[in-house]
Amino acid sequence: MSNFLFGRYLPGSSWVHQMSPQSKLMLSFYFVVVIFFANNIWTYAALSGLILLVVLMSGVSIGYFLKGIRPLIWLIVFTVLLQILFSSGGHVYWHFGPFSISDTSLINGGFMFIRCLLIIMISTVLTLTTTPLAIADGVQTVLRPLKKVHFPVDTLALMLSIALRFVPTLMDEMETILNAQRSRGVDFGSGSLRHRISAAVPLLVPLFTGAINHAENLSTAMEARGFTDSEHRSKYRVYRWQRKDTISWAVFLLIGILVLFIRKS
Amino acid sequence: MDQTINFKQVTHTYQAGTPFAQNALSQVSVTIAGGSFTAIIGHTGSGKSTLVQHINALLKPTAGEIKVSGRTITPATTNKNLKQLRKHVGMVFQFPEKQLFEETVIKDIMFGPKNYGVSDEEARLDAKQAMGLVGLDGSLQDKSPFDLSGGQMRRVAIAGVLAMKPEILILDEPTAGLDPRGHKEIMDLAEKLHQQQGMTIILVTHQMDDVVDYASDVIVMDQGKVVKHGEPKDIFSDPEWVYDMHLDLPSAAEFACRLITAGVPLKTIPLTIDKLADAIVGVIQGGQSHE
Repeated sequence: MSNFLFGRYLPGSSWVHQMSPQSKLMLSFYFVVVIFFANNIWTYAALSGLILLVVLMSGVSIGYFLKGIRPLIWLIVFTVLLQILFSSGGHVYWHFGPFSISDTSLINGGFMFIRCLLIIMISTVLTLTTTPLAIADGVQTVLRPLKKVHFPVDTLALMLSIALRFVPTLMDEMETILNAQRSRGVDFGSGSLRHRISAAVPLLVPLFTGAINHAENLSTAMEARGFTDSEHRSKYRVYRWQRKDTISWAVFLLIGILVLFIRKS
Repeated sequence: MDQTINFKQVTHTYQAGTPFAQNALSQVSVTIAGGSFTAIIGHTGSGKSTLVQHINALLKPTAGEIKVSGRTITPATTNKNLKQLRKHVGMVFQFPEKQLFEETVIKDIMFGPKNYGVSDEEARLDAKQAMGLVGLDGSLQDKSPFDLSGGQMRRVAIAGVLAMKPEILILDEPTAGLDPRGHKEIMDLAEKLHQQQGMTIILVTHQMDDVVDYASDVIVMDQGKVVKHGEPKDIFSDPEWVYDMHLDLPSAAEFACRLITAGVPLKTIPLTIDKLADAIVGVIQGGQSHE
C-alpha cells in the first residue's frame, strides 16, 4: 500500500506545482486525447519527449515515478498481451486457435505499452503536484459552464473534496484496524479464498462504521458553522491563470499539432 | 516463559526509499524486564507507538532485532508463523472500540481465542472469564457491541484481547477519551492483571499521574530514541529536563514545584498525592517544632 504512488501529493515549488489546477487538469485530459491520435514511432517519440520534459519540470525524480508504476505493471502487461494475441494483420509468426502473433500485433503491443505508460505518467504528475483540494477546485472551475443548465457543480465539487480529504484518514484507520485484528490472530492475505473473504468481515465492518461516524460528525460540524449549499461561496485560495499556464498550453498545443502532422494517415 | 523483551539497535523507517521516508526509530536498544509494569512516555511523534508495534511484529525493524518470548524478529522475518507470538503479546490499540465488528458482545470477545484454534466452548469460557475481569455484566453478552456506551465498548475490546490469555499486554493510551471513573477502572484493571496474573504490562501514555501511580519502570522517548529508562522517581527528579522533553510532571510534583517557588521549603519533590500530603505535613510540623 505504501508504495502506491497514484493519488498522492508531493509538496514542492516546481513549474508544474505552480500551475493552476484547472489548467493542469485540462492539459492532462488533452494529453490523453492526443495520445489516442498517435499511431507511429515518431508520434510516440514526440509524446514521450514531452512527458519527459513534464517530469523534469515537476522536480520529481524519474526513478521515483518508475517505482510508482510498478504496482500497475500487471495491468499493463495484461493489456499489452491482449493487444498482441488478438490483433490481426501483417506477417503471422505463430497462431493457435483465436490467438496469433504477427509483426503488426507485436508493434501494436509495443505502442499499447507506451500508451499505458504515458497515461499513467501524466496522471501521476497531476496528482503528485496538485493537492487533492486543488484538484477538486480545478474540477469545479472546469465544470462551471454546466451551472447554466442547473447542474449542481458546487455540491459535486464539495462531495469530491470531502471524499478526497477522507482518503488518507480512512487509509490510516484501515491500517489500525488491520493491525488490531492481526493482533487478534487474523491472517490477512493467506489461506483459501473462502478464508480470505471471511477475514475481510472484521476489517470492513469497523471501517464502514467509522466512515459513517465521520460523515455524521462532519455534517454536524458543518451545520454548526452555518454551512448551506445555496449561497455564493467565496474561496480562501484562488487559483488564477498564470503565464506558466499559457506557456505550457502553447507547448502542448504545438506538440499536439505536430502529432497530427506526422501521424500515419 | 521468559517475558523479557529485548530491543537491539532497532531502527525503523516508514516508507523507506521514497520521498516520504521518515525515521521513526533510530538505533533503539532497550530491555523491558519480564513481569514489570513499564510506562512508555514521550511527546507526540516520539516513536512510542512504533516501538510497541515491534513487540508483536506488526512492524518489522528496518535494521536491528527484537527478542521476545524466545523469538527473534529481524528485518527478514516473514509474516508466516507469527500467530504464536501474537497470542503471547496482547495488544490494545488506541480507541480499541473501533475494532469491534461482531453481532454480539460474546462473539466479539470469542473472536481472538477462536483464531488461535481454541474450540467454541473453550472460547466461550475464556470470553466469559475476560468479561468478568474487565467488569462487564454477564447480561450484556448477547447485546450488540454497537448498542453499548463508549466505556463499555472499550471494555469489550479489551476483554477481546484478554480472552487470548496473553502474557505480555500492551496498552496504547487505553484511557484516552474516558471519564475519570472509566479511566480509573481501566488503570486498576491493568494493575490487577499485573499483580494477580503476573502479566508484563506495557503502557503507552501521556498521563504522568498514571505513570507514578502504577508503573515500576519508565521509558522516555524523544525523536525516535530512548533517552531515559528508569524508575519513576529517577525520571521525574529533574523537572527542567522533563519540561525539555515536552512532558508534564505528575500533578503532585507540579504542585510541589509551585509550593517551592512560593517559598515553602519542601526537601524533595513528591510524586504522588500521598507523599505530597506527607511532605506538607512534615513542613508544617517542622515549622511548629521550631516555635
